[in-house]
Amino acid sequence: MKTVEKVVNPVRRAGEQSPGKIYDEKLKVRARREWRGVKDTFYDYTRWLYLMSVLGRFIIVPRNVKGFFRYRWMMSYLFVPHGMDKFTVGLRDEALRIAHTSFNFVIADVTQAIANCFRGDRRVGNDKAYSDKCVITDENSMVTFMMGFDKEKVHTILREVPTMFASNIFHQFNVMHYLDVAQQNGIPGDVCPMPEAEAGISIDDDFCVLGCCAVQNNTTCDGSLMGNGIIAKRLEREYGIPTFQLATPLRHKEPDVMDYAANEIKKAISFVEEHTGEKWDWDMYFAAAKRVNYATKCRIAQMEINSTPYPQFFGAAFSLYNDTNYMGNSGRDPQFLKIDRKLLDLAERGYKAKRMYAKEYRHRAIVWGVQPQYVIDMLYWLVQCWGVMPLTDMLSVINTDMIAEEDTPENREQAYRDMAMLNMEMIMRNHTHGGFKVLVDDLWELCEQMNADIVMMWEHMSCKALTGMHGQFEEQARERGIHIMWVSHDLCDPRVFTRQAIRDQVNSYMRTVMREEPLDPSLEIIPDNEAY
Amino acid sequence: MCKCKLFNVLLKVLLRLLAVVLGFFVVTFTVYFFNLDMKATALLAPWLEKWYDHLEHNQYL
Repeated sequence: MKTVEKVVNPVRRAGEQSPGKIYDEKLKVRARREWRGVKDTFYDYTRWLYLMSVLGRFIIVPRNVKGFFRYRWMMSYLFVPHGMDKFTVGLRDEALRIAHTSFNFVIADVTQAIANCFRGDRRVGNDKAYSDKCVITDENSMVTFMMGFDKEKVHTILREVPTMFASNIFHQFNVMHYLDVAQQNGIPGDVCPMPEAEAGISIDDDFCVLGCCAVQNNTTCDGSLMGNGIIAKRLEREYGIPTFQLATPLRHKEPDVMDYAANEIKKAISFVEEHTGEKWDWDMYFAAAKRVNYATKCRIAQMEINSTPYPQFFGAAFSLYNDTNYMGNSGRDPQFLKIDRKLLDLAERGYKAKRMYAKEYRHRAIVWGVQPQYVIDMLYWLVQCWGVMPLTDMLSVINTDMIAEEDTPENREQAYRDMAMLNMEMIMRNHTHGGFKVLVDDLWELCEQMNADIVMMWEHMSCKALTGMHGQFEEQARERGIHIMWVSHDLCDPRVFTRQAIRDQVNSYMRTVMREEPLDPSLEIIPDNEAY
Repeated sequence: MCKCKLFNVLLKVLLRLLAVVLGFFVVTFTVYFFNLDMKATALLAPWLEKWYDHLEHNQYL
C-alpha cells in the first residue's frame, strides 16, 4: 500500500493540548471555548466580538426582527458563534486566521443575503421597487448568467442559501421539521435530504416571497429535479413569479454539448433582461471575468500549498469559501479579491514558517463524495484525533481554466461558452456528473498530484449518483494501493447517522485496518450528538 | 495651577475610559470564554420552537 512520510510537529501547541475537554454531554453547546494561548485566544475573542457586531447590526433593523419571528429557519442564526467554533477546533496561528477570515466573510455575506430577502419579502419588508429588481436563483446554481448585470440595479437572490444550506451549518436539527413536512405530503424519504428540505420549506410556505422572476437549474439529482418542480409550481401559480428552467447538460466533458449549453445561457440572460428591464453590460461582464480568473489563480495557489507537507487552508472553511466565491459570487463582488489576497498571504506565511496544526501528520487524505462536513467539525477532528490531514475535498476541485477577460467581438461569443462551462462544472455537477473520468479517474490523478495515501469517501445514503460507483472505487483503490475509508451519512438528517456514528466509522477503520492509536484519545468519542 | 487642573481632568477622563474598556473586556471575555452566549441561546431555543410551532402556515403541494 502507498505510504507517506510522517511529519512531526517540533513545536508544542500554545494553550491547551486537547480540545476534547470543551464538550459536555449535558449541554447542547460547548462547555466553554478553547484556550489557545494568550495571543490566539485574544484573536479568537476579537473575531467573536466581530460576529456579535454583525448579528447585532442585523437584528436592530425592525423588519429583520419581524422576519426572525416569521421564519423558523431564522432560529439557526442565533447559533452562528457555535457554528464558527466548529471550524476552528484545535487551530492556532495562520490556520486560525484563515478559518476566521474566510468563514467570517461568508457569514457576513449570508447575513446580507437574509437582509436582502427580508427587504423584498411580501410578508416582511415588502419593498416592491426593490423586489421588482430581484432575480431568485437556486442554492446549487452558478450565477454566471448574472455577471453582466449591474449588481446595484439587478439583485441576485440565492434564496435557498440562507433558508436551508447556511442555516443547517449552525444548527444540525434545523431542517428536520421541513423533511417531516415533505414526507407528510407524500414526498419519498429516500431522496437527498437537501433538496427534499427545500421542497419541504416551499410546501410549508416558509420561503421569503420576492423577485420579479426566478431562474432554476437542473442541478444534480432526482431529489433536486423533484424539489425544483415543487418550488417552481408555487412560485409561478401562487405568487405569479415567472420561472426559467436553465437546462444544463450533465455530460459536461463532451464537446458537442457546448453549443446547446451556451444557447441556454443566452436564453437565461434574455429572460432576466425581459423581466427586470435592465440590459446586459459587457464591461460589467469582463470586469467580473477578471475577478473569476483571479479567484481561480488563488485557489490553484492554495491547492499547491496543500500539496506540500505543510497544508494551510483546509477543512470545511476551505470548501465553504470556495463555494461562496466560485458559485454564489462568480466575480460579481470585488470585495472577494481582497479576501482572496489576504487568505493567500496568510497561507504563504504559514507555509514558510512550516506551521502544523496537530502533533503529527500521519496520513494525507483526499475527501471525496457528497459531503456533510459543514454540519459537523469532521475534517478538523480528523487532523486532531487521527493525524489525517484533509488536503482538499471534491467540491473544491473545480475549474482551473482561465476564461476570456478582454472585451473583443470574438470574446463576446466565447463568453457565452465560458459561462456555460462554469455553469456545467459547478461544484455539485463537476464530479458527480460527467462520467467515469470526472468521478473516478480525476480522484486518482488528484491523489498523485497531492501525494495522498488515503481517500476519505463520504457515502451519502440517499445519493444515487455516487452509489453505483462503489465497486469501481474499491477495485481501483486496491490496484493503486490507496486506502479508501468509507464513511456513510445522510447529509442533513442526523436521525439516520448521528455525528458519533459518522466518526465511529473512521475510528474503526483507523484501529482495525491501519492498526493505529489516536493522536488525541479524548476526541475519539465526543458527546455532541444532541448538540446544535 | 490651571495646567495642573487640566491635567487632573484629563487623567480622570482617561481613568474612566480605561475602567469602561476594562469593564467591557472583563464582561465580554467572561461571556466569550465560558460560552455564556450560546448557553443562554440554548435555553431560549425550546421556547422559540414552540413559537414557530404555533404559527399557522399555508401548507400546499
